[in-house]
Amino acid sequence: MGKKKKSKITPIALKINLIIFIVLMTGIGFGSFLFGYGYFLALQDKIQSNLLVQSDILYKAIEKYMLLGKANIAMEFFDDIGTISPEYTIKLFRTTGKKAFSDNSTIETVNKNLGTPFFEPKVLGAPDTETLQEKYLQGVMQRPPQDLANIEQIEDNTFFHMYKPLINLPKCTGCHGSDHTVRGIIAINNNITRDLQEQFLRILLIGGVIFLVLTAILLIIITQYLKRAVLVPVKAIGDVCSQVTAGIFSTRVNIKRNDEIGLLGQTVNSMAKGLHERFELSKFVSSKTIQSLTSEEKGKKVAMTILFSDIRGFTSYSAKRDAEEVVDSLNRILNIQTEIIHKNGGDVDKYVGDEIVSIFTDENSAVSACRAALDIQKEIEENSSLKYDNLHVGIGIHNGEVILGMIGSEKRADFTIIGDNVNVTSRLCDVAKPGQIIIHEAAYKRIKDTIKADGPYKLKVKGKEEGLHVYLISRNEGDGGAQ
Amino acid sequence: MNKIWLFGVMLLFLGCAEKKPLIPLEYNDWKRTINEVLKYPIPGHENNYRKIFINDTGTKVVREEKEGRTYDNYPDGTIIIKEIYDSSDYKDTDKPVNLTCMVKDPKNVNSRGGWVWIVKSPETGTETILTQAFCVTCHANANEPHPYGDKNLNNDFRDYVFFPYWGEE
Repeated sequence: MGKKKKSKITPIALKINLIIFIVLMTGIGFGSFLFGYGYFLALQDKIQSNLLVQSDILYKAIEKYMLLGKANIAMEFFDDIGTISPEYTIKLFRTTGKKAFSDNSTIETVNKNLGTPFFEPKVLGAPDTETLQEKYLQGVMQRPPQDLANIEQIEDNTFFHMYKPLINLPKCTGCHGSDHTVRGIIAINNNITRDLQEQFLRILLIGGVIFLVLTAILLIIITQYLKRAVLVPVKAIGDVCSQVTAGIFSTRVNIKRNDEIGLLGQTVNSMAKGLHERFELSKFVSSKTIQSLTSEEKGKKVAMTILFSDIRGFTSYSAKRDAEEVVDSLNRILNIQTEIIHKNGGDVDKYVGDEIVSIFTDENSAVSACRAALDIQKEIEENSSLKYDNLHVGIGIHNGEVILGMIGSEKRADFTIIGDNVNVTSRLCDVAKPGQIIIHEAAYKRIKDTIKADGPYKLKVKGKEEGLHVYLISRNEGDGGAQ
Repeated sequence: MNKIWLFGVMLLFLGCAEKKPLIPLEYNDWKRTINEVLKYPIPGHENNYRKIFINDTGTKVVREEKEGRTYDNYPDGTIIIKEIYDSSDYKDTDKPVNLTCMVKDPKNVNSRGGWVWIVKSPETGTETILTQAFCVTCHANANEPHPYGDKNLNNDFRDYVFFPYWGEE
């Protein structure tokens, strides 16, 4: 025989907590990501707008230098800015894309427009071959000229580029001529990698803390809520179900809520109440009846031993006493007989007034029935004056085939026994004197090796042309009752 | 149900309603700010032939002196249209290729210097509001001495107009 594997129980609280944790991690994580990403984009926009303002300020400064004919100061200004931070550069390009001040051509043009060599050609150093990329040049040199800003990722660095046209204003035309709209392009380059990284780390830190705190708070709140709303009530319902299973029907679920859990609690309470009622009702219904309800039997022939027990002289007894006393005495006698019948494996089929109809269906049903009868007579004889108002019973026992079935109408029916053998048993009971047990020959054949009996006697009963062979058993003449 | 239908029809009507143009295409009977031939090169328009019109509202320009300086103030609703032709060789049959316009509307969020700067295509009627500083940067020079027209040698505040309306000549 292999050892039965014990199934492992995973607590529902653990599952719910796991689900909540996953949902929170996913939901808040996604929210935090969106928040961080949005903040990052906003940060880029902010840096960009700051640089645009800076470019406007620089533009105005350059314009002033140029008007004074101090282009060389403008160049020094650009170089000075470069020394503040190597990651921030300003350059001026001509509309051809060539670096401004890389030669003396502008000075020559200005001198020509002025009609005098107003500006001295400067001494050129090493040739500056840097040019503005064509795509930026084209982006700026439109009609009307456009400011151009973009963010470019070069290896691990993020650069912000700003390209702004230097407009040939009317007041500039005296030196630079009127035949062109744009004099040059100011290029501002800023390495914003460090700013972005710092802000990104800050976002990560803030976002991470917010994420963890929010997750923890929500986890606690939701877990507590679920515990109170679901787990505790479910456990209470489970406890009630366990008690009902153990036969304790008085316990009730104490949940007063207008939701599914409350409804479940009410249903369980109704179920416990119903089960209690059925349990109490089962005392008044034979076990065969209950079995028939579950098996939905309609009727069948069954061999069994039938025991009829009837209180002798009960009619005259009841006529002299009030109803309460009569019912009390009757119930006491019926109750003790029922207990003895059950104890000996029998089942009360029904009570008919002061009469008990019981059946025994086990393998030694006749012996069981006779032992029950002997125990009944012993109990009543020994305690007749004390407990049973000097009442006595007569018992008839028979063994044979009977029809077992649901007898009655659709609205009211009994699962009971009928047939000739039932009638014969009833006749035997009818003729049994107080304290007497009459058994039919058929039953005797089954007990003769176990229980002593007197007989046979020939008994003439109503409905039978020929007399019946019957036997008498008693405590004094038998084997001492149930053994 | 009828109200829903009515609401739907109204929405459809509003959606299909044409947006009123800022610049009318019928401006030829407007006054000219200057009758001189404008075809000498200037930044922004190079040597293209140009004509400048002003609406009736603009002709009511208020000119006043404050602390020794003259200030021009064009009324709200003033529209100045500059026709730009394809080249400097103008013929009467030529049509302008572009209209650059100023609309006095200081409350407009796109206004710069109190003017909304617009480019309009005479062919398609498409109007583009210029939100960048390009136009106003150049026209700001009108408020100080400059190389055009009377050159504003007195440093008058010309309200961003290089060729002010001086009345019927």
